[in-house]
Amino acid sequence: MITIAAVMFCVIFAVVLRSFQVGVWEHMVDDIVANNFGYLQVHQKGFWGEQSLDLSMDEAALPVAQWQEVDGVRSVVRRLESFSLVSTGQSNRGSLVLGIEPEFELPGLQLIDQIVSGSVFEPGSDQVVVSEGLAEFLKVGVGDSLLFLSQGYRGASAYGQFMVSGIAKISNPELNKQLVLMPLQTAQWMYNGMGLLTTAVIDIEPTADHKEVKAELLPILGEELELLEWEELFPELIQTIEADMAGGQIFITILYFIISFVLLGTVIMMVSEREREFGILVSIGMRKSKLAVVTVLENLILTLGGAIVGMALVKPVQFYFKYNPIDISGQMKEAIEQFDFEPKLYTTTSFIINLNHGAIVFVIGILVSSYAVWKIMKLEPVKSMRS
Amino acid sequence: MSKPVIQIKNLEKVYEGAVPVHAVNGINLTITEGEFTALKGPSGCGKTTLLNLLGGLDKPTSGSIEIGGVDITTLSENQLIDFRLRNIGFVFQAYNLIPVLSAQENVSFIMLLQDRPKEEREARAQQLLEAVGLKGKEGQRPGQLSGGQQQRVAVARALASKPQFVLADEPTANLDSTSTANLLDIMEKLNKEEGMTFVFATHDDRVIKKARRIISIEDGKVLSDE
Repeated sequence: MITIAAVMFCVIFAVVLRSFQVGVWEHMVDDIVANNFGYLQVHQKGFWGEQSLDLSMDEAALPVAQWQEVDGVRSVVRRLESFSLVSTGQSNRGSLVLGIEPEFELPGLQLIDQIVSGSVFEPGSDQVVVSEGLAEFLKVGVGDSLLFLSQGYRGASAYGQFMVSGIAKISNPELNKQLVLMPLQTAQWMYNGMGLLTTAVIDIEPTADHKEVKAELLPILGEELELLEWEELFPELIQTIEADMAGGQIFITILYFIISFVLLGTVIMMVSEREREFGILVSIGMRKSKLAVVTVLENLILTLGGAIVGMALVKPVQFYFKYNPIDISGQMKEAIEQFDFEPKLYTTTSFIINLNHGAIVFVIGILVSSYAVWKIMKLEPVKSMRS
Repeated sequence: MSKPVIQIKNLEKVYEGAVPVHAVNGINLTITEGEFTALKGPSGCGKTTLLNLLGGLDKPTSGSIEIGGVDITTLSENQLIDFRLRNIGFVFQAYNLIPVLSAQENVSFIMLLQDRPKEEREARAQQLLEAVGLKGKEGQRPGQLSGGQQQRVAVARALASKPQFVLADEPTANLDSTSTANLLDIMEKLNKEEGMTFVFATHDDRVIKKARRIISIEDGKVLSDE
């Protein structure tokens, strides 16, 4: 019972720890990629590197209908994105300007759930939606006007004055500090790029594999265009994830050392409690090798049982914290937000983590049972029976 | 004339230490088939050590112990364990039953180690438990039995493997007078009816009175053999 409980708690502890680490990243990728930027984006070749409006695509020339026929493609979302100095007269900030069509957008930019005050702009209107963080910085509210000054298509001046129709809370902290959303046609007008798009987001079915969709899209893409996966769009995100995972790996390795000693403790206790029994069995004629095999098998069954129970019991915890993340507050929250991370701890519900860590704890359990084998092989029946 | 079961020649056991202790000091003995022998002597005289050496539970420093023509001092550890399994029955002072097994399982376990069929194991275990007066207690675990009953289970277990002889180390030390009398009656009956050889290490007069051969040991040597 002690062995089962020890293994079970070790599995639960390891899985919970790893679930939070993976879950935070999973949520962040899901938020950035699935909700805001998409798993695949089409640009004019070179746009993503230079971020220049001069590398825009002609909307009318894009074979959007053909792309939409590809298996796994749900829709093609049209955007014009650029940068602009946004000013209230008293304060100003360089901002990311996105010209979008909210009704066709990815969930994170549909603005229905994101608006915290005011309303979504009308298509083609002189209205904008400002992200909450930027609105706080500029000290603007619904009904205020903002001045935009930037460079447009092929060196043209881009400027305009637009009224704030709504304030939106964008879940990604980085975007929430600098994003201005406006109708696509309004952005095309301001940047002197009527009929131009910088980005066509390929919105894929939740069950589709974006690499498979990419492979099918490439032959019908056109020579002037490039199709980038989210990993190519955000290599720094991948690096950050990998660095964090490596750090987590060190932590989990330390945890496994602790777990190993906990499990070794239970084996030492078990051997100590049963030393007399082992002595009796050997004295009446049970070979030590047979006794060792039986003990390892016994330990194997107990460890496997504990691992399975642990993997199963931790599942509700994973589900609970995936949908009810832990809010981080105080100084920790501020520190996390400085790194543009959402200050919430989510878990992942991926069962692979349970299987991996259940298997690792199981293997540790089997390895530490070699202590019992060692003790049995050097057992002296007379001494053991006196214990 | 009965054939010898155990032949001990110049047996010595020395426990090394700052002052070496000669627990068994040059003993020569022959035990023949069907004997009911008591090794008597004060505590620390070496009788338990001698019994452990006879049972192959401990290795002598020198000398030989022949059982059925086999010198057990030359056997490897595994050979010795197998030899014990097939030739020697043990009854310990502290019963030494497996606490998680029932009386019947304790008795039949040794036969399981001998790879005997299940039907034979169950039948012999029941027969032996009946012989030691524990019919109806087969399913009870050691913790549910009295000291005397546990020792009777231990006797049944010792006999289960059909050994050449049974070694009993202070078998009555933890028993009251009634339980002691019952146990001795059972062992005497098995000795007379089945010809089973018993060797006791004891300083219990009740056991010594029943023995037909009494070997007195002191300071690891045979003092008298009557």
